[in-house]
Amino acid sequence: MQETSVDSRVGEDPQEKEMSIHSSIFTWKIPCTEEPDTVNFVHINLHKNNKQPYAVSELADRQTSAESWGTGRAVALIPRVRGHRIEEVPELPLVVEDKAEGYSKTKEAALLLKKLKAWNDIKNVYTSQRMRASKGKMRNCLHIQHREPCVIYNEDNGIIKAFRNIPGTTMLNLDELYGTWCKAASLKSNYNLPMYKMLNTDLSRILKSPETQRALQAPCKTIHRRVLKKNPLKNPRIMLKLNPYAKTMCGNTILRQAKNHKIHMDKAAAALEAKSDEKGIPGKKPVVGNKEKKAVGDKKLKKPVVGKKAAGTKKPAAEKKPTEKKPTSEEKKAAA
Amino acid sequence: MLRKARRKLIHEKAKHYCKEYRQTYRTEIRMARKASNFCVPVEPKLAFVIRIRVLNGVSLKVRKVLQLLRLQQIFSGTFVKLNKASVNMLRSVEPYIAWGYPNLKFVKELIYKRGYSKINKKRIALTDNALIAVSFRKYGIICMEDLIHEIYTTGKRFKEANNFLWPFKLSSPRGGMKKKTTHFVEGGDAGNREDQIYRLI
Repeated sequence: MQETSVDSRVGEDPQEKEMSIHSSIFTWKIPCTEEPDTVNFVHINLHKNNKQPYAVSELADRQTSAESWGTGRAVALIPRVRGHRIEEVPELPLVVEDKAEGYSKTKEAALLLKKLKAWNDIKNVYTSQRMRASKGKMRNCLHIQHREPCVIYNEDNGIIKAFRNIPGTTMLNLDELYGTWCKAASLKSNYNLPMYKMLNTDLSRILKSPETQRALQAPCKTIHRRVLKKNPLKNPRIMLKLNPYAKTMCGNTILRQAKNHKIHMDKAAAALEAKSDEKGIPGKKPVVGNKEKKAVGDKKLKKPVVGKKAAGTKKPAAEKKPTEKKPTSEEKKAAA
Repeated sequence: MLRKARRKLIHEKAKHYCKEYRQTYRTEIRMARKASNFCVPVEPKLAFVIRIRVLNGVSLKVRKVLQLLRLQQIFSGTFVKLNKASVNMLRSVEPYIAWGYPNLKFVKELIYKRGYSKINKKRIALTDNALIAVSFRKYGIICMEDLIHEIYTTGKRFKEANNFLWPFKLSSPRGGMKKKTTHFVEGGDAGNREDQIYRLI
């Protein structure tokens, strides 16, 4: 709630209710629920209900009861404020300690007002006492005067009696004004105290309570960081991580390729010799036979050998049937 | 210790798959040779589908099918198990896709190079066998090789394995495409190109 200082505050009592008076506000410390919204609400509404001061007050902008003067007065239809001036009261709403509820003498009440510098307002009331200017006179409304402080109290320990004779004051009982949890407000129609969103507002206590803790999961402290993806087809270590067999597979292919290459070479050499032996007859057959065998070996490679093989296979591949699509690994050639 | 055991297991599995692939391949050839009159090659069970057209101006039905195939982006690809239903689906979106029958090398390279998984609705790179193991331990798929095997041979858990893989985001074809708007058969790019799909990757 706004910073309202309480006169003769007795400790930091979190539970306060404020009482508002027109020009000055007495707030009484009354055991009540702490609800800043309620306090605020009280304050605003009371100010709305009555004439609002336009003097320096923290809540001046909210306190206006500006009304348009209407037409016929040669001024624009802008809402204008008619209200009280607060001159000397220290603060609005003015919170006063509970002891004031115990005043039973008007003298005491008057003294309080004087001390709080609200007495000028009361004097104002005296000066404003006059007769009504209209036919209301005939209808039992003879006298009129200003309204002045509105005193809100919780318990009537005599305070009504003390203040009621001070002209202009209005006494309002908190319970009647706002009701209690059990009953609606009697001074306002159809108003009940707002229900709490939270009954127990001590958040740290709630969080640490065994009931809450029991329902919680264990804290997940491990941080998962994004892993950079490396291409296993190019990066042998990553490949091995994913497929430990890849190493042996690779090794096998290299071995076999070497073997096959050797065989191929031998055969080619043999064929060449055979060719040179047979004059003029192109030793096609053996060569062709070779080639066929190679082709078969070629096809056999359905087993994809990853990355590494590429380098190894190029040579033999080029000599045989060039097939880009199927990398040549002739493990099976040996098997066949 | 456990890690070592796992590694060994993966090693054995990979070796086993190696052998398996080789064997199936050789068997097919052997059968073909034995058969006296006709040899009908096995109907392909796996297809790889690539979307080759952009998002705009696609008719609703086609859009839905492409959505079901998880091909929301141009040059995104997915594996599809081939059965009558899915073949019809592919046929209905023919002008928007290029598809074919991938071979083992193809599948392997795709998954190794461009494999991302869908873990917890996030696209996470397949950098470790652990990622696969966590999702699939109950199916017995614990490593990349397992995953590849499942996809390539369209095993029992193909659906889960395939769904686990985020649709592949491929780059545009090197050397360009022939002609996006016409069918492969007509010299273009769309539709079923069977074995030639590898050329597009």
